[in-house]
Amino acid sequence: MAIIAFCALSTPSAFAAGTAAGTAVSSQATVSFVISGVPGSAQSGAATFLVDEILDLNITRVSSTVSVSAGDVSRVLLFRLTNTGNGTETFPLSIDNLIGGDNFDPQAAAPAIYFDSDASGDLSAADVAYVAGSNDPTLAPDASVAILLVNNIPASVADGSIGRSALHARAATGIGAPGTTFPGQGTGGTNAVAGAKGGQAEVFGEYLVGDVQVTLAKTVTVVDPAGGATPVPGARLNYQIVVSVAGSGTAHGFVFTDPVPAGTAYASGSLRLNSTALSDAADTDAGELLAGAPQTIRVALGDLTQAVGPQTIAFTVTIN
Amino acid sequence: MKRMKIFAAGMVLAFAATTAMAQQKDCILLKTVAEIEKVDTNDRGEKTTRLVPAEKIVPGDEVVYTVSATNICDEAADNVVIDNPVPEHMKFVANSAVGPGTEVSYSIDSGFHYDKPAALKVSNPDGSQRAARADEYTNIRWVMRNPLKPGSVAFARFRAKLE
Repeated sequence: MAIIAFCALSTPSAFAAGTAAGTAVSSQATVSFVISGVPGSAQSGAATFLVDEILDLNITRVSSTVSVSAGDVSRVLLFRLTNTGNGTETFPLSIDNLIGGDNFDPQAAAPAIYFDSDASGDLSAADVAYVAGSNDPTLAPDASVAILLVNNIPASVADGSIGRSALHARAATGIGAPGTTFPGQGTGGTNAVAGAKGGQAEVFGEYLVGDVQVTLAKTVTVVDPAGGATPVPGARLNYQIVVSVAGSGTAHGFVFTDPVPAGTAYASGSLRLNSTALSDAADTDAGELLAGAPQTIRVALGDLTQAVGPQTIAFTVTIN
Repeated sequence: MKRMKIFAAGMVLAFAATTAMAQQKDCILLKTVAEIEKVDTNDRGEKTTRLVPAEKIVPGDEVVYTVSATNICDEAADNVVIDNPVPEHMKFVANSAVGPGTEVSYSIDSGFHYDKPAALKVSNPDGSQRAARADEYTNIRWVMRNPLKPGSVAFARFRAKLE
């Protein structure tokens, strides 16, 4: 009985994509025997083959359904393209918005495909636009790249409608029915063989049009120095603004701004969001007092939905 | 004259003994062939499988290895044992080792120990033991039950899957 501790005996070449294309795999047998009491042995020649290149890829949708409003521009879907083949391969990309099963076709922006170069998950200045035939991604086995599709939403789409936009990628070496061979075109002169997907893949993301109405209700309370409610010089004006959202959509990156009224002075440190104090400086909290004439109150409320609930902003000014 | 003849005969005898010694080492000609299964479908939709030389092999494909041992000497070979390491980058396919007239055993330690599958145990991280999986086999051994007669061929075959 042989008992072996099996810790680190497995070979380290364990790519998810499998043994690298161009690898030589050999098998060789030995024989031992006895003739007339004399032991002998022999070895066979090696039976060797070269591993061919399988052309395979995988696209995953990273974005969940993206909530948009009619007429939105440059809305982004995030995908990840992975080379699941066993050789380095180049993958030309394209966008396909003519997908069935949706209510409208998003309009591809120009350019419509970007590499998420800064890995932010969103379109930013550092992201490099894809140019077909110029910067087609070349990926080693198991390597992947994040790709953004950028679309504009038509102005005429109804609340609740869905638009699909797909990323298509294909192996530059060739596409065809699974098993199709491209002789001598694989890594290191091996044959390239179309994998289970035929060397191409297409995966769509979705935009959901959400109707959204944002309402602001502003109230003011006057407190004069005598304890009354007369707006005399030196009286304090306590402003309260309630931001409410209704509808199924999202108000993206909502920013509230309000100039300090003429003839008044902002009371330092009086800014509140949902009763929490915000500093007047431009810093990590949502609020700040912008310099200028007049000065302006600014509160960045982020993405607002009906589910998030009303947001209450408060600040105080004094009558000069 | 008579003395000379005896001397010459002695020379021949010595020469024959030397070649017999040399031949004994090379008495079995061993050959390995790598093939893949190809499925053909005829006009009536019937499928037949045949082995063709290994080509167009990508990860996940199975290769059929056939080892043939031919006794090219005039005497029977006893204790014939064929050993084949599972090729690097490949995993042994469970229950695929066959050889007419042989006992098959396996190793999980690069040929140090051989045993039947049930006796091959692997230690778990917690110290307990489990049966070794076929894909953990490192070597296959075929032991011939009977001598290999002059001119006879013994076959040993197994399948392995490319990682």
